[in-house]
Amino acid sequence: MPDDLAIRIEDLSITYKINVDTKRTLKNAVMRASKGEKVRMRKVEAVKHLTLDIPHGSVVGIVGANGAGKSTLMRSIAGILPPSEGRIIVNGKISTLLALGVGFNPALSGRDNIILGGLASGLSREEIEAKTDEIAEFAALPDGFIDMPVRTYSSGMYGRVAFSVAVNMTPDILLLDEALSAGDASFKEKSFGRMRELCAEARTILIVSHALATVTELCDVAIWMHKGQMLAKGKPQEIVDQYLKFLDVGALPSNFEDM
Amino acid sequence: MNLTPERWQNAAVANTQKQDESFIPLIQVFEPHRASLPPLIPYVKEFWRRRTFAIELARFTDKAEYLGSKLGKVWLVLNPLLLAFVYFMLVTVIRGGGTSKNGLTTLAHILIGLFTFSFASSCISAGATSITTGGRLILNQAFPRALLPFSSSISAFYQYLPTIPVYLAVIIIGKIFYPKTQIPTLSWAFLWVPVIVALLAVTAFGLALIFATMNVYFRDTNKLLSYITRIWLYASPVLWLPEMLHGWHRAFLYVNPLGPALAANSSIWIEGKSPTTSELIGCLVWAVIALVFGGYFFTSRERDFAVRI
Repeated sequence: MPDDLAIRIEDLSITYKINVDTKRTLKNAVMRASKGEKVRMRKVEAVKHLTLDIPHGSVVGIVGANGAGKSTLMRSIAGILPPSEGRIIVNGKISTLLALGVGFNPALSGRDNIILGGLASGLSREEIEAKTDEIAEFAALPDGFIDMPVRTYSSGMYGRVAFSVAVNMTPDILLLDEALSAGDASFKEKSFGRMRELCAEARTILIVSHALATVTELCDVAIWMHKGQMLAKGKPQEIVDQYLKFLDVGALPSNFEDM
Repeated sequence: MNLTPERWQNAAVANTQKQDESFIPLIQVFEPHRASLPPLIPYVKEFWRRRTFAIELARFTDKAEYLGSKLGKVWLVLNPLLLAFVYFMLVTVIRGGGTSKNGLTTLAHILIGLFTFSFASSCISAGATSITTGGRLILNQAFPRALLPFSSSISAFYQYLPTIPVYLAVIIIGKIFYPKTQIPTLSWAFLWVPVIVALLAVTAFGLALIFATMNVYFRDTNKLLSYITRIWLYASPVLWLPEMLHGWHRAFLYVNPLGPALAANSSIWIEGKSPTTSELIGCLVWAVIALVFGGYFFTSRERDFAVRI
């Protein structure tokens, strides 16, 4: 792989099966087996034959309707979901914000959650403790909230903490899935600033967003995903315009039929 | 923003610097694999590198659990203690009181057995739900998933530790009332306790891995587990003494993964005897089987967890 690439995706397909019928329990499994029934499974083809190279220092925006496979793609780049076919090569340390809320105990304070978040992403105790104040400061929660249990937070405050953790890990590659929707206008401005800084340090950012203005403002490349495929890739404004047109009149780009 | 050659160079410099300070290869390749093992050596390295996460997660979870109630921690000890008294009454009534052994010895055996058994069983039960309750964390970050059940085991160990002084206190008080009871004083045999407890912990962690994986596929596994643990308790040498088994019945002790460890543990505490060779072999064999089988079962399926959570 060339040195200047942060991520190389080669013919990536991700399929998985989900159970349609009932809750998956031992009881149901035994009942079904005794009746000789089969489990109805649905095969989801979340990503289909996607090939993509992302160079270091680029900010990539991914747009597309719900269920287009955007989140699945992000998870597979993060190493959370294994490819079913194809290959992903990632060059660099990844930091993610894919499921909002770092997911620790809501009875713990924001500060404790920051420490756990850092440790989970592979920092040492000293490293994260050195960063905690910086992260807390970046989140800039109203007075004293950072030391209160997370369950007392508003969803915006929660999002701010999670975002601050993700961007302050000094990642080589930052994956953000709808992470910017939580904060208010001033926090959004601040996070854009931080992301520009990261980008200036040759770090790579991938953003999934339904806020199309974010994509045009922040990204230098945009990708439009539709039903697991990459429909188009290009200048953010062009891609967003095409996507909007599609949302309006359902027009797919003319070359889609060939894909 | 366009990529200038300078920026590429910066990237290259940044990368070579980072290569030295991290265990993980900077370039990671993700390729298809579902029901097969992830590369083992990097997995174990990553697991080891992030052990502080598991330890801190255990510590923070305990902290959160007992944040509101000062009595919470007390209950942790009081619960098995009261249970031990209930079982003691039960055993004494069933036996009709007429045994060769003193009542205090029986109580001591039940106490230490129950405390140690609850350590193993809470490793297993907390570990079993650790994956299904760790949903967001699993969806958000890639890390060796075995860290979550590992963290539950550490948590169970923290809860086990304070029960030892409680045991000692009960025995010392008991000895004041029944001075004739044969309870051993400190001896070299007690050096075996950490060994036996460690082997028991490894066995329990291995079993937790199995149940944690099952619980992802079948969400009622942990409900079933509460019945299994109950039966397991009765099948373990906690309410009865290993000496009560004769002839081929002794095999019963070794079929139970927790059996040899609990028997050895009890004989150290109650009789001051070092574990027998067969008990030691039993502990070791079960620890290896549980860890290897549980580890294989868990890691070969853990990439599947993200779509099933």
